[in-house]
Amino acid sequence: MCVACGALTVFFPFFWMAITSLKTAPEIQRVPLQIFPDSWSHWENYRDVFTKQPFWRYLFNSALIASTAAVSSLVVSSLAGYGFAKFRFPGRDVFFFGIIGILMVPFQSVVVPLYMWVNRLGLLDTYPGIVAPDLVSVFGIFLMRQAIEVIPNDYIDAARIDGCSEPQIFFRVILPSVKPAMATLLIIKFMWNWNELFWPLIVVNSPQMRVVTMGLISFTNMYFIEYNLLTAAAVISVLPILIIFLALQKWVVQAVVMSGLKG
Amino acid sequence: MDRQRRAGFLFVLPAVIFFSFVFLVPLAQSVVGSFYRTVPGGSSQFVGLRLYQRVLTDSIFWTSVRNTVHLLLMSVPTTVILALAVALGLNRVMTLRWRNVWAAMYFLPFSASLVAAALIWQWIYDPVYGFLNYLLSMVGIPPQKWLQSLTQVRPSLAMVNVWVRIGFDTMIFLAALQSIPGEYFEAADMDGANAFHRLRYIILPLLNPQILMVCILELIFNFKIFDQVYATTQGGPASASQTVIMLLYDTAFKFFRLGDASVMAVFVFVTLLVVTLVQWRLFRKPVEY
Repeated sequence: MCVACGALTVFFPFFWMAITSLKTAPEIQRVPLQIFPDSWSHWENYRDVFTKQPFWRYLFNSALIASTAAVSSLVVSSLAGYGFAKFRFPGRDVFFFGIIGILMVPFQSVVVPLYMWVNRLGLLDTYPGIVAPDLVSVFGIFLMRQAIEVIPNDYIDAARIDGCSEPQIFFRVILPSVKPAMATLLIIKFMWNWNELFWPLIVVNSPQMRVVTMGLISFTNMYFIEYNLLTAAAVISVLPILIIFLALQKWVVQAVVMSGLKG
Repeated sequence: MDRQRRAGFLFVLPAVIFFSFVFLVPLAQSVVGSFYRTVPGGSSQFVGLRLYQRVLTDSIFWTSVRNTVHLLLMSVPTTVILALAVALGLNRVMTLRWRNVWAAMYFLPFSASLVAAALIWQWIYDPVYGFLNYLLSMVGIPPQKWLQSLTQVRPSLAMVNVWVRIGFDTMIFLAALQSIPGEYFEAADMDGANAFHRLRYIILPLLNPQILMVCILELIFNFKIFDQVYATTQGGPASASQTVIMLLYDTAFKFFRLGDASVMAVFVFVTLLVVTLVQWRLFRKPVEY
């Protein structure tokens, strides 16, 4: 019982967001407050989100950046995960624990020098500049190493005896056996970067380079915040992630539990 | 053998290079930068510990540290205790289907961006048209100012953090609870243990590593609070919600005092490192099944 009540309470803000996005400006300023909108067919807010701000562009920017970051960290993480899991070479453990140690470095502690680098390279306000710090993920390396470690060495040795080169082993033996881990990493990395604010805020100057989180904030830069518009924009920004999340809930939960265990 | 060594090294090389350039070098530069003052025109000058002296005696800096600590002292225990309670409750829901439904609901806020979460809550907190004051009015409590009040702004932001994080912590606790062997509870039942005994002598000791880990993660998450504040109060009213990372951001990217910002960056890094190490040292107890 308590569990269900709690769950409904936790869900309430989402409900309130969706309900508000269907109201008109006079409706949300009604006192006393009225829970449901007068009519369920007011979808103007969803249109106005795109006419008052270049919101398509924000969605596109976020999608581009988040998918680039996800794919790039998948590539680098699976390479590194294989290297760390199945090879012995001098300095391996130093490198591995060095990378895991990076979890202890808050991004905010390196942000000023990073900004200066990006500035010097002329990448401020560009896609490469926005995506640069997110191209690789420590969590990804950890996840892929764990997944690859359980592949029996016999498979790899057999492939080697058959004359496969190291890249061939990687593509034909390793990657096909860790597909669930790869999917998990893609999803969770996409989610993280879609929701990111701090770094884009620092490197983005022009309105057309804004990401979706900045787009949401741009609806608040008014004397009176039009919450009916803002919540419509919020619904649009949250929905893709929510759908991915609900469709692939089991994997996401697993990954999140694991990302929690990474420390 | 030699071929394999080289191959292994080449496989990890891209990651090593990336992290060196994106984390290690900038971290070193942050530390070095905290000893230099940048004079207008671009050249910098070694000033020793003078920037540390300036930042660490600045009252605004300590206000933001105090605000941050106050905020996390409210939200961390609340989140962890509630999440533990929810996980225990979910664990008792017998039908798998319903357990998944409720678990998903607790977990949903985690998938929203912090910006969206904070803005939705700002609307719920709205002093005139907000839902929360509407609820209060039904039980006869006068409207509160929430995010616009000097005293309520930090609890209100803490509440947002609890909402965002409760699902994440619950998932970790639930996974741990489900890995406790059933015989433990059977044995306890035979010895006549009640629910409290089970919690006190079986569940809490066995969950000790997860509780510790969740506390550390929550501490770090709450200490770094930025998005929620930036999207709503911007540190106001009257610096009542100014937090450490907000101040770092303003110092670096609004006022361009990069040296001062580097001092804060080093402060954040050292603080979180020390907190984590101390917690590991003090509370780590081995768990044996």
